[in-house]
Amino acid sequence: MDRYGPLSRINISHTDLVRLIVIFSLTISCIVITAVSLSANIGTIYAQLFYFPILYATYFYPKRGLYLAGVCAIAYEILAYVYLYPDTGILIYTTGQAVLFICIAAVVAHFTEKVNTSEARYRSIFETSLLGIVLFDQNSFAIRMTNNYLSQMLGYTPEEFVGMTLPQLFFSKEEQRKFFEYLGSSKDVNNFETQFVVRNQDPLWVNLSWRRVSDNQVSCSVIDINKRKCAEQAADENYTRYQQVTEGSPTCIIITRDQKIVYTNPAFHHFSGYDAGELAGKDLLPLIYNDDKADFRNISAHPENQNGKTDKVEYRFLSKSGEIRLAAAFFSPISQKGETSLLINLVDITEKEQLKERIEQDNERRRGIISTVAHELRTPLQPIMGYLNLLTEDPQTYGVTEETKVILDRCAKSVDRERQIINQMLELSVLDAGKIPLSYSVFSPAGMIQSIIDAGGYTTKADLTVDIPPNLTFEADASKISTVIESMLSNAVNYSKPPRKIRISYQSSASDKMHRIAIQDNGIGITNTQLDEIFEPFQLPDSGNISRKYDRIGLSLSIAKKYVQMHGGYISVDSIVNLGSTFTIHLPKTRSMVVKANEA
Amino acid sequence: MKRKIFVIEDDQPILDLMELLIKKLGYEPVLVAHAPESLEMIQHDPPALILLDVMMAPMNGWELLAWLRKDKNTREIPVILFTAAPSVKEKMAQMDDPHLGMLQKPVSFTELKAEIERFLS
Repeated sequence: MDRYGPLSRINISHTDLVRLIVIFSLTISCIVITAVSLSANIGTIYAQLFYFPILYATYFYPKRGLYLAGVCAIAYEILAYVYLYPDTGILIYTTGQAVLFICIAAVVAHFTEKVNTSEARYRSIFETSLLGIVLFDQNSFAIRMTNNYLSQMLGYTPEEFVGMTLPQLFFSKEEQRKFFEYLGSSKDVNNFETQFVVRNQDPLWVNLSWRRVSDNQVSCSVIDINKRKCAEQAADENYTRYQQVTEGSPTCIIITRDQKIVYTNPAFHHFSGYDAGELAGKDLLPLIYNDDKADFRNISAHPENQNGKTDKVEYRFLSKSGEIRLAAAFFSPISQKGETSLLINLVDITEKEQLKERIEQDNERRRGIISTVAHELRTPLQPIMGYLNLLTEDPQTYGVTEETKVILDRCAKSVDRERQIINQMLELSVLDAGKIPLSYSVFSPAGMIQSIIDAGGYTTKADLTVDIPPNLTFEADASKISTVIESMLSNAVNYSKPPRKIRISYQSSASDKMHRIAIQDNGIGITNTQLDEIFEPFQLPDSGNISRKYDRIGLSLSIAKKYVQMHGGYISVDSIVNLGSTFTIHLPKTRSMVVKANEA
Repeated sequence: MKRKIFVIEDDQPILDLMELLIKKLGYEPVLVAHAPESLEMIQHDPPALILLDVMMAPMNGWELLAWLRKDKNTREIPVILFTAAPSVKEKMAQMDDPHLGMLQKPVSFTELKAEIERFLS
């Protein structure tokens, strides 16, 4: 309510001012009419006229109305004395009238006061209530009255509320429709939870209860339940998310408490063949394969020993159909309401394990076949080689001419090559199985290279330059490194034409972690696309000219590559077609690097 | 009298070849195609050296070797495992027997000569 600045101290509002003017003018009119009618000697005096200002004043201002009644009584009495004295009868009558003014004013004031007090009480309840309260019209839904709390809750001022209708407060049409439905049922409704819209258009969860207070007025209390609802919604969302995660997880999830199953997810039902009903409350142990039971019992009986750590162990489970299924299990204790439960995650590795086994079996069978084939291929070579040797060793005895001897020598060479290919094939097969250990020793590469050159007669085949520091030492498997260098060297000789120039050099520095030996030739060279090919055993015959040319040494390069890799090193090739190639062997200088490389 | 070399081998073409090669080396070959038979012959008249095939049936080279090494009369007869099978070398290395040698088939005359002479020179 607007207050005037200067009048604010005496608490006078617009309405009060109007009322005062009305009371004042009514009082003056009454006095004037009474005075005029007395002076004109009309005879009838309308004392009842005074009740208008008195009742009006006492209704609105009980105490001050009483004063007014006093003023009116005195004025009336004075007028009566002035005009009617000494008519005693009339004067007694007028005195009675004046007293009646005060009595009636007193009675009215008393009741008004009472009514005001109770209204003030209700108003204060209404205004200070911790519920929002809105009074609205049942037919037009126009808002008649609201309390402060509702203003605070929704952000509208009481004046704004009065221009609105209740349906405007609903957040969605759907909620509005529900409200009309409930209202139409003409019952009083308690605890209708809905969403209101606040002034800034945000939704607000509220609880509505309403009752009809008169024929067309409905009083509705509004409780703010937004916090609770939001918390509920968040919890609900969390639960839904948690449920989706566990129900949809491809990993089996089991929760046990005191070794009894309290939860299993669909992945585990699929894994075990049992459904949730069959598992709930049961012990998990009967599902574990006999041999793994003791170990599983140990871990699951003492989840607290896990110290929050998860452990991966593989267990065999028995499915409902009796099938043995293998799973990697992770255990983690979880605390629920002060009790320790055990969360077990299982990853089904049955198929993976079966596949691994099958591959291993296949490899084993393949190696078995290669070993048998090698045996069968070698045996018939023995008589051929032996008889050829015999004929060439003793040409006179067997009547072998010089010409025939040349042919027989060529045959012997071919048999020898055949023998070599079989040996290499076997070596590769064993290398694939990873069964060959390295036998480390410290040796001088310069000495090793020299003995390879001497044994292979390489000095007669090419112009050889060897640039290896004589006091350099390697720590490696000497026999394997010797094979590697020899195949590099024979490769360099075989794939170049005279005049052959071959240079063997050491390319590493003190800070380098690798030994690097480069074997450079002036041969036919290799194109980029052929670079990887030459290290692969048994290339397809149509994979290009080079593989045909190289297939005589294809296996020895493959073996060399594997040997170097076993040491944690590698072989690199730089080549220019028709100019030559450089094969570089890179070997770790220390054995610890090899171990690291193999672990990686 | 020439020293005897036993050739125990179930492949006839190889036996035929060995007869010639061993004769050429200056020894007297005794050819046995059936391993169990050879045991008695060896005990009765111990040879200077035995060339022993490994993959044979019903008794294989390893079994025969084990029998020979049990008997003190035959314990020190040099035996050259003569085989086409892979991984004999690894198994042999584990046995650490100074009287045991190995030749991988097919073997050249020179290699055969060298290995026999290693024991009999």
